[in-house]
Amino acid sequence: MSSNNVNIPVLAVSLALIAGIAAGLLGWVYLVTEAPIASALQEKTNTALRDVLPTFDNQPGDETVVVDDVTFYIGRNEGAIVGFAGETITSKGYNGNVTVLAGLLLDGTLSTVLVTQQAETPGLGTVVCDRKRQKTLSGLIKGIKATGLPSNVMLDQFSGKQVVEGQAPWTVKKDGGTLDAITGATITSRAVGGAVFTISETFAQNRGQLLKENN
Amino acid sequence: MSLIKEFTKGLAKENPVFVLLLGMCPTLAVTNNAINGLGMGIATLCVLIGSNVVISLIRNAVPKKVRIPCYIVVIASFVTIVDLLMQAYAPRSLYEALGIFIPLIVVNCIVLGRAEAFASKNGVVASMADALGMGLGFTLALVLLGGTREFFTSGSLFQIKLIEGWSQDFMLMGQAPGAFILLGIFLGIINWVNIRKAKKEGRTYTPTGLSCSSCNLCDLGDK
Repeated sequence: MSSNNVNIPVLAVSLALIAGIAAGLLGWVYLVTEAPIASALQEKTNTALRDVLPTFDNQPGDETVVVDDVTFYIGRNEGAIVGFAGETITSKGYNGNVTVLAGLLLDGTLSTVLVTQQAETPGLGTVVCDRKRQKTLSGLIKGIKATGLPSNVMLDQFSGKQVVEGQAPWTVKKDGGTLDAITGATITSRAVGGAVFTISETFAQNRGQLLKENN
Repeated sequence: MSLIKEFTKGLAKENPVFVLLLGMCPTLAVTNNAINGLGMGIATLCVLIGSNVVISLIRNAVPKKVRIPCYIVVIASFVTIVDLLMQAYAPRSLYEALGIFIPLIVVNCIVLGRAEAFASKNGVVASMADALGMGLGFTLALVLLGGTREFFTSGSLFQIKLIEGWSQDFMLMGQAPGAFILLGIFLGIINWVNIRKAKKEGRTYTPTGLSCSSCNLCDLGDK
């Protein structure tokens, strides 16, 4: 194979052959992994929904209603609606969008609030958003197994609250309101508080319709 | 015997991160904790083994003029396979933490570097040993960096808190500046050890693998 005498067709054919084999292999791997990837994605949504909704036996990921900026997932148990999970994206985060998922009981009371997607400042904004279980060495040695959803001071304060129609928006204490905010993460706290309020308010305004249309 | 040598050189003497300084982008970006380092290392290890073996198999069939595009096709295929498999079977949190850096293994210098410098000139078994050694060396370096950064950030290792009173995270180490600082300290220590060792033996220290002789990507080595 001298480098001066280049045989273009041979080069083209060998490159095309390798690309063809690679494409075939990739196609096969794609077909094999297609279903597991879809179920992994669905499982991700379901894990979050299981945390915020009462026990359900349907696929709330497939039963959604969009009202204004809020997507409602409908949780059913044996056919009857047990609760809604509202999801909204706010652009008021410190670094881009923050996605908030909040569970709502049928009367409109907020149950659990989660932040499912964010890019906030690590160590400050993330304190508002994370529910993280910290494993400790002594805990592992003693064999302590913690269960349930890890707590978060900021997110847990919404549980049990409810917005009635026409109510003024919640604000953090710094702005003269009642919400606790995390020190050093006021902007993220405002964003999350505002998003939860939007979800709750949208639900309060459309509760009757949501319940009637989906029963 | 030489097979063992091909394997062990990647772990220490020619460690891709600490000696060859290859693949710095994932090294700095994903090593904010030990688990991410381990995940990235294993993903690269899988790609490296696959590409080294296949390239060694086709090394005589591929015309020299188009060998680089062919190698890229092989490497990109393995990266896509690893990416799809991780999406399907790896923990979601790990896949999301590694994010864009999985597809970017395609342009990781270690993979193309080993393909060109080793697999294109050696047999399948030797290439596999080389890939295993280099991949494990890379994984080891990433876990070491990730573990150290995680420990100095929050006093934990592999997400398990070792020092329980450590409540406020020290974010410098967990963020990009910490990666540079710590990598610099590591490289300094390794150079210091090597120079001391060389001085004791009465010779000057020259890092291995930094000369062009082991690579034929360009014509510089021929001069």
